[in-house]
Amino acid sequence: MPGLTQDRLWSEAVILEGENRVLRVQSTRDALLCLKNHWPMADGEGNARSEALAACDRVIDGQDEPDVARGAFIKAAEEAQFAVHSWTGNEGT
Amino acid sequence: MAGPEDKPPMDKAMRVRDVMSRQVYTVSPTDTAQSVARLMKETGVGALPVEVPGVGTILGIVTDRDILVSVVAQGLSTSTAVFEFMTVAAESCEEGDSILLAAQKMHDLRIRQLVVVDEKHHAAGIIALADIIRVSPELGGLVRDGMSRQQPEKQQLEGMSPCPA
Repeated sequence: MPGLTQDRLWSEAVILEGENRVLRVQSTRDALLCLKNHWPMADGEGNARSEALAACDRVIDGQDEPDVARGAFIKAAEEAQFAVHSWTGNEGT
Repeated sequence: MAGPEDKPPMDKAMRVRDVMSRQVYTVSPTDTAQSVARLMKETGVGALPVEVPGVGTILGIVTDRDILVSVVAQGLSTSTAVFEFMTVAAESCEEGDSILLAAQKMHDLRIRQLVVVDEKHHAAGIIALADIIRVSPELGGLVRDGMSRQQPEKQQLEGMSPCPA
């Protein structure tokens, strides 16, 4: 997992409220881990999720800006029916 | 029959660089307990150096035990920032140090991991007690046994010194 040695912080945290849990995410690496390991959808489900995973990979590789991953992550969270709390919405997409 | 004095002394002459893990996953002081826990789950690493984002200077270390003892057991939110419960200015070592010196620090401070830093105080790696046990079971065993020795009164566990918020 050499990619996980890198992280890129977001300008603002995103707070996701689901059934009996709250996820606070403020960086690209953490978003990637949430999407991969802690998501309420099975692997392969959800277009927005797949796009968000790809966006996180690009950002960690330095090919895109962190807020692009943030915006894609918010879209994936909405797709997964999380209540999304953030001040600035999905800017960057 | 060979006695103990016939054993090659290579294990104690080994350097930290020979046994440390070079793949270091660092976190930022503003990361949260839950994000650190997610990284620990993914990587299987229980101790992560805390660095200044963009600068790389190591400020301390955060362990899975810190999350249990200083966040969960205290009833704090899982959104608690790392700087509130990390061990500040964690003891470190350098690549050229002997594993005997690293083991001595672990023994004295009752810790199982040391961050390996370079001349800029950036993380170059991490050395765990398990790494020492792997190359020198005798030395590692002494450190491990020392962990369970009588705790002097008022001594803080694992060098824990929470950073003032």
